[in-house]
Amino acid sequence: MSQNSMLAMILAGGRGSRLKALTNKVAKPAVSFGGKYRIIDFPLSNCANSGIDVVGVLTQYESVLLNSYVAAGRRWGLDTANSGVYVLPPREKADADLDVYRGTADAISQNIDFIDNYDPEYLLILSGDHIYKMDYSKMLDFHKEHKADATIAVIPVPMKEASRFGIMNTDEEGKIEEFEEKPAEPKSNLASMGIYIFTWKTLRRLLTADVKNPNSSHDFGKDIIPTMLNSGRTLWAYKFTGYWKDVGTIDSLWEANMDLLNENSGLNLSDNSWKIYTQDMGGLPQYIGPDAHIRRAYITQGCVIEGDVTNSVIFTGAKVEPGAKVVDSVLMPGSVVGEGASVVRALVADNVEIGAGAKVGKAGSENIELVADNVAGKEET
Amino acid sequence: MCDALGIITSSANRQRVEGLQDYRPMGAFSFAGRYRVIDFPLSNMSNSEIDRIQVYVRENPRSLAEHLSNGNAFNINSKKGKLQVLFSNNSTVNDIYNTDVAAYAENINIIERSSNNYVIIAPSYMIYSQDYSALLHQHVESGADITCLYHRVNNAKDHFINCNTLNLNRQKGVLSIDKNRGTAASRNIFLNTYVMKKDLFIDLIRKSREYSSVYTMAQTVDHACKSGDYDVRGILHHGYVAACSDFRSYYEANMDMLNPETAHSLFNPNWPIYTVTTDSAPTNYFDTGRASNSLISNGCTIRGTVENSIIGRGVTIEEGAVVRNSVVLAYSTIGKNADVEYQVVDKWAKILHVDKVIGTPENPGYVKRDDIL
Repeated sequence: MSQNSMLAMILAGGRGSRLKALTNKVAKPAVSFGGKYRIIDFPLSNCANSGIDVVGVLTQYESVLLNSYVAAGRRWGLDTANSGVYVLPPREKADADLDVYRGTADAISQNIDFIDNYDPEYLLILSGDHIYKMDYSKMLDFHKEHKADATIAVIPVPMKEASRFGIMNTDEEGKIEEFEEKPAEPKSNLASMGIYIFTWKTLRRLLTADVKNPNSSHDFGKDIIPTMLNSGRTLWAYKFTGYWKDVGTIDSLWEANMDLLNENSGLNLSDNSWKIYTQDMGGLPQYIGPDAHIRRAYITQGCVIEGDVTNSVIFTGAKVEPGAKVVDSVLMPGSVVGEGASVVRALVADNVEIGAGAKVGKAGSENIELVADNVAGKEET
Repeated sequence: MCDALGIITSSANRQRVEGLQDYRPMGAFSFAGRYRVIDFPLSNMSNSEIDRIQVYVRENPRSLAEHLSNGNAFNINSKKGKLQVLFSNNSTVNDIYNTDVAAYAENINIIERSSNNYVIIAPSYMIYSQDYSALLHQHVESGADITCLYHRVNNAKDHFINCNTLNLNRQKGVLSIDKNRGTAASRNIFLNTYVMKKDLFIDLIRKSREYSSVYTMAQTVDHACKSGDYDVRGILHHGYVAACSDFRSYYEANMDMLNPETAHSLFNPNWPIYTVTTDSAPTNYFDTGRASNSLISNGCTIRGTVENSIIGRGVTIEEGAVVRNSVVLAYSTIGKNADVEYQVVDKWAKILHVDKVIGTPENPGYVKRDDIL
């Protein structure tokens, strides 16, 4: 692939309000995942591993942390002479007032000047809120092979869940005939992964028109893709069969973390040929104390485990004190479970402290309990 | 800003760690699972805002050169700062010529050209935390010509053997530098760390070469003490110290880190020890995996039992395997049902076809790098 023939843009502006208190202060792509990562490490590492040199990250909601985080392109190896990660929040321009990104397509429209600088042939659009490992260069090969105007990555989902997704109805070969957003009666189970490759010249023309359309919501799924289908453009579905998960809710974020404990889940972050890169946090290796009991756990650097951990994922620098029990739970960076406390089916947010003897969560609960505030300890009884 | 050129020396006094040193210089030895020994002097300098640093390498430079790279990982300023790795032209005639002073003499022009007024010299094979800018300040305040950093120990009969010791007078003036032969329990172990003016350092190197071409820096300073021409003083170091001067001390220094208090006295959150990241995923403990009283690095797959051990990155411990009181370096595999006790297992080794590899606390064993047992 010649340099910059494909440029990537990551849509990272959303708040992700279904993640509740986790996104009070940070945008969803900056939420921690898998012990030592943040969600946005996945698309960024995929880009780096796919040989994409230039990545624009479109930020909007609570972008301070995200901006400083992604600006250090070195972390993902996106730091050679012609490559970089560029943070693109909305900005004031000579011919337009400062405005927020009004939709996913508008975020790209407002950065046409940035993209033109690199004169790419293809544009890859990604979202910053999915956990998956994917080689985008293979998807580009597919796009070129079919001389498509747009290629949309799709993943087969169980038919009964299909009505929760944007569904692509294709012909036998995979050419897209119809797109339905959350159809009540789905005709296919191929869900859009929110990953698009566009031939840039074509998309550029469409975006320029879309900006001026007062009836448009400036969204790829609602406006751009339907417009392309209606005007007879060639759209192909690229079928992906690996692990992919939208971690938009507390339950799904918990589940994706739990998938790391299951060898058959398809989510394996230890494959050296496709590493996920992240910020290096420093600190000692995890310390497992003399009386600790560990059974099925995913634990990272800087953790101190002196109690019992079963079927749980423990993030950077989290502590489990003596006599504490952590079961079926996720402990986010810097959280502390005090002596004798118990945490069951819970997701404990960053730096939250569970006081000694306190109990949070319940075995067999329908939903995972999010613990976003410190929990006071209980007196010994 | 600290007005000192940092110099990190290789093992000049012919110390040798059996096994490990066949593959890499002492500075590149793995420590506490994810560090290398040289991370300590380098981080000490970097944290002290010393940003011109020379690292002298005597043999097998590959692993050290790779680790140091351009100093990026060690928080050394990429524009103002500079990390130089200097490889010495070793004499093949006789190893006695390959001293630290010989290496400095070879690079004396580079040292002279540095704009710093002082030099701080630290060895690559000693593990300790120290604020060098505070040390420099103390040195300047004292008016001494040369300051030597030392550590007071009460176990010198069977530890720090062959390390240098300072013979001090009541005013902490250094009378001489001797070897620890294990004859007394209390010793001032010299951390082979010096502070002096750069001009004096250059002067000492020249004089040393004229006097004897096989003199080390310690011998040179010992000679300076005895001559009475220089004011040489000792400053006491507080905190943890380990000298990886032989195989057993290397093993013990690693095991020391299993004591949380000891570990905290070396790893202070306000004094970060930098190292190079390998982007390993967190460690995965499967159904049959167990661990207690251990430091375990990222990227490991644990299906067996780990007790009282230090485990490096990317180690695989198979079902039924038991690792006790051992230091397992990165990317090794302990195969099914293997019993490993009191061993240092070097990188990429695989213990697959033997049931037991067992040493003793006094005589821990060594499994060679890349080896299959």
